[in-house]
Amino acid sequence: MAVIDIHDVEKTYKGKIHALRGVSLEVHDGEIFGLLGPNGAGKSTLVKILMTVIHASKASGTFLGQPIGHRPTLRQVGYLPEHHRFPQYLTAIQVLQYYGALSKVPKAIRTKRAYELLERLGLTGWEKKRVSTFSKGMLQRLGIAIALINDPTIVVLDEPTDGVDPVGRREIRDLLAELKSEGKAVFLNSHLLSELEMVCDRVAIMVKGQMTMQGTIDELTRDSTRFEVHIVGQPPEWANEAFDDVRDSMLIKHGDNTEELQSLIDKLRRDNISIGAIEPKRESLEDLFMRAVDHIDNPGSVR
Amino acid sequence: MTFKALLIDAYRQLSAAKLFWLTLGLSILVVVTFGSMSFNEEGMTIFYGLGTIESDMIYEGSPWARGLYIGIFSNFLVTIWLSWIATVLALISTCTIFPEFVKSGAIELTLSKPISRVKLFLMKYAVSLLFVLLQVLVFCIGIFICVGLRIGEWNWAIFGAVPVVTVFYSYLFAVCVLVGMITRSGIASLLITGVFWMLLWTAQTAELALNRFSVDERVTIESFETSVLEQEAELETLRAKSPDDFRIEKRQERIDDMKEDIASAKDTFDKLMVWHEPVQIALIYLPKTGQTIGLLDRWLKDDSGFDIQAMMRGDMRSVEELEEFDNTTRFAREREASKRIHDDYSSRSLWYVVGTSLLFEGVILGLGAWFFCRRDF
Repeated sequence: MAVIDIHDVEKTYKGKIHALRGVSLEVHDGEIFGLLGPNGAGKSTLVKILMTVIHASKASGTFLGQPIGHRPTLRQVGYLPEHHRFPQYLTAIQVLQYYGALSKVPKAIRTKRAYELLERLGLTGWEKKRVSTFSKGMLQRLGIAIALINDPTIVVLDEPTDGVDPVGRREIRDLLAELKSEGKAVFLNSHLLSELEMVCDRVAIMVKGQMTMQGTIDELTRDSTRFEVHIVGQPPEWANEAFDDVRDSMLIKHGDNTEELQSLIDKLRRDNISIGAIEPKRESLEDLFMRAVDHIDNPGSVR
Repeated sequence: MTFKALLIDAYRQLSAAKLFWLTLGLSILVVVTFGSMSFNEEGMTIFYGLGTIESDMIYEGSPWARGLYIGIFSNFLVTIWLSWIATVLALISTCTIFPEFVKSGAIELTLSKPISRVKLFLMKYAVSLLFVLLQVLVFCIGIFICVGLRIGEWNWAIFGAVPVVTVFYSYLFAVCVLVGMITRSGIASLLITGVFWMLLWTAQTAELALNRFSVDERVTIESFETSVLEQEAELETLRAKSPDDFRIEKRQERIDDMKEDIASAKDTFDKLMVWHEPVQIALIYLPKTGQTIGLLDRWLKDDSGFDIQAMMRGDMRSVEELEEFDNTTRFAREREASKRIHDDYSSRSLWYVVGTSLLFEGVILGLGAWFFCRRDF
């Protein structure tokens, strides 16, 4: 079941700046979904539209089965904004209590849950400290705790690992996996491609207010599967025809057809060409991302 | 649940602000100073009995002692301390509440909660009045105890200052919120609210002055016209009795002078009305800050006839003394004009004073809520 199923979302500021140009997106129940895109792509605008912080110029579809902007639905949604600012005069537990109350979580439940979440996010001992004394990483953890205080069906996290050290990042990744195992959907908005690659079931890439790619990482990178054959010495003449790309001593064959590759290797060996290594390769998320950006900048380029 | 959460948050925000405690400390100091005054059989004692001001009229148990003590509260402590100094401090403390509330990074999380924007805006506005509410409440508790201990009167009407000052403050705070919503700047909110308050004060003071002058002229016209009629009647009688009486000519001269004065007063009155009427109409649609605070004076009205403002002007005279005056004398006319103005303001209904002011506040808040609901954050 799709927890987010939106179509043709558009946002135009003051009738001139097109932040979103007909974005469509689908996030399934219990999956970790990553939204990628360079700065100014419109990722945060899209998230803010879902969270009713920004009004869409045009939008159709559903969010947890309800039209976008349906406020009672937000009871089931957890959200961590990108550049959050929590009230500096509150302690960690008070912040959680406050946002829990705004999410209409009964007091007894939110108090119990607040302590559990602080422990889960490694903030034990900081419950009664003012958030003004927290480091960036600690604030990020607290923000995730706030997003979870209402035990949401879907958690929308905008740059959750921003300012978090490598150990903290790993802990957050583990937490995301736990949330998934609990059946929650996670919507991640991040610049950190390697982070997303590690945790996301599906990703979408947005560039200049448009959705350029959407699917599982496997689906999106399947076309980029190739074998790189490293030889010793110069490649033979026929290699230019038989391989898809020849770069000095590296011969590249696209696709995952091992039989065809096997015959080419046999041919190389018959020509007494030494083979140093054979590497199966697949495009990384970063490569995919760069390709998507390049495609929008140069529409004629290979997709 | 949401309102309670916002209320608790507002209290925490205030209690974290130094200015809140400073204002509260100053309020307590004012109460302590007020409580340092007392009365004994000889007169009034000051600084907790360190000195005594002897008086035949103001002493322990006298109605004038009561009038003075309550009068100091309603005329000075409320009018000067709560309505001016504490209000300025409150505006400085609270002018950043809405700009901070809608600041990028803070508002996103709040708006993502299942509360409608209008409700959120209005609830935030209501809880933001907590600063003044708490300050005035603490102040009134102190005054209530002082009045009870010093003159033996446990006057619950003193707590009327809590809604009166809060409502008065809310007129200004609504403007502060609207400006804060548009500019997202605490400084701009404070400055523009300050300018608005000063303009309002100027308009109200101008209306008071114009009203005073026009009532003065009206009283002059009426008292002189009555006097002219009386004197003309007397003159007729005199002429009938003794046509050659030497007083006839002087009496006629006096009547003619009065007629000239009446004509001059009518002319001045007409000129004043050209200005007074538009100002008066404009003020109907604006918050009545002075009259709102004046409500407290009505509720604390003193049966002793003691008027602290009259005392400050040096107008304290006995009723017998006052009745001796001819109603065409300057003093009698001024007294009549003062009485009419006082009666006029006192007769203005709560609906007129507070209702129309709250209508203005409602319009301003409506605009603020409209901005808040439409804006993308």
